[in-house]
Amino acid sequence: MPDAAMSDVVVDGNVLRVEALSVAYPSRDGWLHAVDGVSLSIAPGTVLGLVGESGSGKSTVVLALLGLLGSSARLRAERLEFDGHDLLREAAALRGRRIGVVFQDSAATLNPALTVGTQVVEPMRVHLGTKRALAWQRGIELLAEMGIPRPAEIMRSYPHQLSGGMKQRVGIAAALASEPDLLLLDEPTTALDVTIEAQILSLLDRLRTMRLEGGRRLAMLLVSHNLGIVDRLCDSVSVLYAGRLVESGTTANVLQRPLHPYSKGLLAALPRVDRQHAGRLAPIPGRLPDLWAPDPGCNFRPRCAFASAGCEQPQRVTGDHHKVRCHRADTIVDIPWPIERATAAAQPRSAVPLVEAADLSIRFDSGGWLQRLLGESAGILAVDRVSLTIHSGEVLGLVGESGCGKSTLGRLLLRLLPALDGTLSFAAEPVRAKPDARFRRQAQVVFQNSDTSLNPRQTVGEILGRAIRWFAIANVEAEVMVEVGRLLDLVRLPRSYARRYPHQLSGGEKQRVGIARALAPRPRFVVCDEAVSALDVSVQAAVLNLLRDLRDQLGVAYLFISHDIGVIAHIADRIAVMYRGTIVEEGLADDVLRPPYHPYTELLLSSVPLIGRQRDTDPPPAARPPAAGGCKFADRCRFRLGPLCDSVPPPLQAAGPGHRIRCHIPLPQLAGQPHWLDRGETT
Amino acid sequence: MTAVARSPLRLPSSLVLGAALLGLIAAAAIVGIWLTPYDPAAFAVRDRLQPPSALHPFGTDEFGRDVLSRVLAGAHLSLAAGFGAMAISLAVGVPLGLLAAFHRGVTEELIMRAVDLLISLPPVLLGLLVLAVTPPSLGKTIAAVGLVYVPILVRLTRAVALGLLQEDFVQAARARGEGAVPILWHEILPNAWPPIIVECGLRVTFAILLGSALSFLGLGPQPPASEWGLMIAEGRDFLRQAPWICLAPGLSLCVLLVTVNLVGEGLRERLDPQLSGRAHA
Repeated sequence: MPDAAMSDVVVDGNVLRVEALSVAYPSRDGWLHAVDGVSLSIAPGTVLGLVGESGSGKSTVVLALLGLLGSSARLRAERLEFDGHDLLREAAALRGRRIGVVFQDSAATLNPALTVGTQVVEPMRVHLGTKRALAWQRGIELLAEMGIPRPAEIMRSYPHQLSGGMKQRVGIAAALASEPDLLLLDEPTTALDVTIEAQILSLLDRLRTMRLEGGRRLAMLLVSHNLGIVDRLCDSVSVLYAGRLVESGTTANVLQRPLHPYSKGLLAALPRVDRQHAGRLAPIPGRLPDLWAPDPGCNFRPRCAFASAGCEQPQRVTGDHHKVRCHRADTIVDIPWPIERATAAAQPRSAVPLVEAADLSIRFDSGGWLQRLLGESAGILAVDRVSLTIHSGEVLGLVGESGCGKSTLGRLLLRLLPALDGTLSFAAEPVRAKPDARFRRQAQVVFQNSDTSLNPRQTVGEILGRAIRWFAIANVEAEVMVEVGRLLDLVRLPRSYARRYPHQLSGGEKQRVGIARALAPRPRFVVCDEAVSALDVSVQAAVLNLLRDLRDQLGVAYLFISHDIGVIAHIADRIAVMYRGTIVEEGLADDVLRPPYHPYTELLLSSVPLIGRQRDTDPPPAARPPAAGGCKFADRCRFRLGPLCDSVPPPLQAAGPGHRIRCHIPLPQLAGQPHWLDRGETT
Repeated sequence: MTAVARSPLRLPSSLVLGAALLGLIAAAAIVGIWLTPYDPAAFAVRDRLQPPSALHPFGTDEFGRDVLSRVLAGAHLSLAAGFGAMAISLAVGVPLGLLAAFHRGVTEELIMRAVDLLISLPPVLLGLLVLAVTPPSLGKTIAAVGLVYVPILVRLTRAVALGLLQEDFVQAARARGEGAVPILWHEILPNAWPPIIVECGLRVTFAILLGSALSFLGLGPQPPASEWGLMIAEGRDFLRQAPWICLAPGLSLCVLLVTVNLVGEGLRERLDPQLSGRAHA
């Protein structure tokens, strides 16, 4: 393009300029200061990442830019300017027209009653006044640009007919339909599987190089809690903590050389698949400060490992290109966030299998009772002849995308669901379909969602007390209370918490209560079903460390289920990779994370957005009907051999001691794949 | 009841007002009969069809009975019909609903199809069916009205329990090996009762109305009882000459219904999480 050189040198033509933005919400206890003096700016053609944990105020910033805060919120800013327009007054006219938005859950933002086409075309008709036929044609082009196959057909379909990734592509297309100058992305990939996330990220990456009409270039604001995604996509990063901007600068500077203690802590708390088994994670202790009465000094001070005198003073933002709000930034520049020590030495793992499952299967029937009666029901084999063993004191990590059957497998191992087929034995004894109290006592479970895993009408003491009494660990009230105290000590919660109700606890504390309840009968085996997935990174690290310590201290074995391969790589001794109901690869963590690996494992690993790695994702292979009888991954496999993969069930190949891969591709060829970390360029 | 108003929990004003009025009506139903100088069943042929006066504030009926005394004496019948029927629906409907939610399959199908059958009949017809075959009485009216509202409570309880049974804390109880009774009693019921109570509070109004309607049709308490519906039925013939005979019990019924509705609305405001927002945020 002739104007390329000109538009590349746009320097101070920031399309968005925010200075000292403050937002407060009225609440029963007074004003809640959600955002406190935040400043940011975005130049055309660049991407700014806004990073922070829940409660940091990042979504409030997005709503403020859109003028969607609601009339009760109090909004103040020295400057809130978009391309020369004052957003305080003109936000309503600009949003959807020149400022596009993509929210986390495209399933909720797309209207289920309207076709995809109607929703993509509408912004063009309303904002640009495009004629219907022309807009429809443009919509098809847009969908094609978003990498949607058969766009003309998709235009006529309804949102529920599309997969999650496709819906998000449509959401992006609808946001771009009115040709905005600024695109706000609020956790755009958080609800997606990692392989789909990688595809959306490369789509967004392409968008920023895209040129709009008249040589304008799209600016993007990416709101995310995921530092890997931010690193993949953003030119610069701003870190928010409890409503205040604590650090901002270029992505490389902030993520590779963080200056603010909070940024350091966040990075140290992140379980990273490229640094597996790098010892313990560094959690950030404490919780978010009181937003009703903001600390005039540094509000991170109570949780900060570097706090000293002077922190109670209001902190100034210093630095030109790499700004930081901390008076000690210069003195601590080379000191990493401290890592706490393990409390107990690991207990030796026994060689006798504790849990042994052979050919476990379960089928979920679809269709009504009539189909079932007539034997016409197809049904889905959610778990398809899975065999695995877990030894005492061992952590088996089970990883896979949503819907692959990993949670169902966890429930089968606990006999919470009736197995269609297969055997299960525990401590060398077979477990019946309706297990006895002894099995129940020894095999327990920790759930993902700490909000629904605790009965809201019971205090922590009652919740733990019920488990203690049920298993007759103690029966007299005084003894029960002693036991409750012991459990709370074990998960490092104050004993006074026994009198609290779940809603009075933070997410991490609730998860600790869930763990304490699972430990009440002193089990030997615990299924952790996405036990840390709903937690913020800083809290997740603390819970992961706790689980690891408890394993070392008590010799408990875990089946650790997670979609996050970083978490799995951090905690697991052995890893099993699951795809559509079957385990495609199993082995020691070190073996699974390097070649030879199953093509699906390779896809999972290379899809993880890593800090310091820029790479493009391969386009997904053309969709074929899923194989019947053959390899279930054949339709997505980059290395598919041919009809063999579609029709013949793949054999289980032994790649090493305890390392098995279910694939047709000969081992030497699998071993010849490059290491996933080396694929793509590393910065 | 008024002590509740001083509670620091800031109760909804409709609940406070409704509860106060309901307390007043209940008190009138219990002690009111001793405050009037007339026996509600005593005939006084000489004073028949007297308009309201200082002696007879609500006038007298065709037998010369004091209408105010009769309205007061009948209050407990309406209250009993409403609350008694609700108690019966609760006692039958909630356990059935829990059972249907916990034992999916044959048990659930049996209970729910029986409920469908009941719900397909109009309430008055259902009441008529129960009452027509045997001689009517207050107890049977209560039972009949109670039966009418059983299906609603079964469905509600089942729906609420089905949602709760999916929750992880119930899964945790199952992982401990707990059976139906401990799970339903400790985990489900404490969480299920707010919507059930709210529903009951709103349904009592309809139960009272239905009870009176059945009485009006002669299927409730028999003369000389002074059930309000029955009084309206008896006063019908004198509507032109002595409208107060119908008006007094009719207006009383209105006041009672509004009062009970206030309490129901208040309970809903207080207990429904969608209306009260996050009370403990």
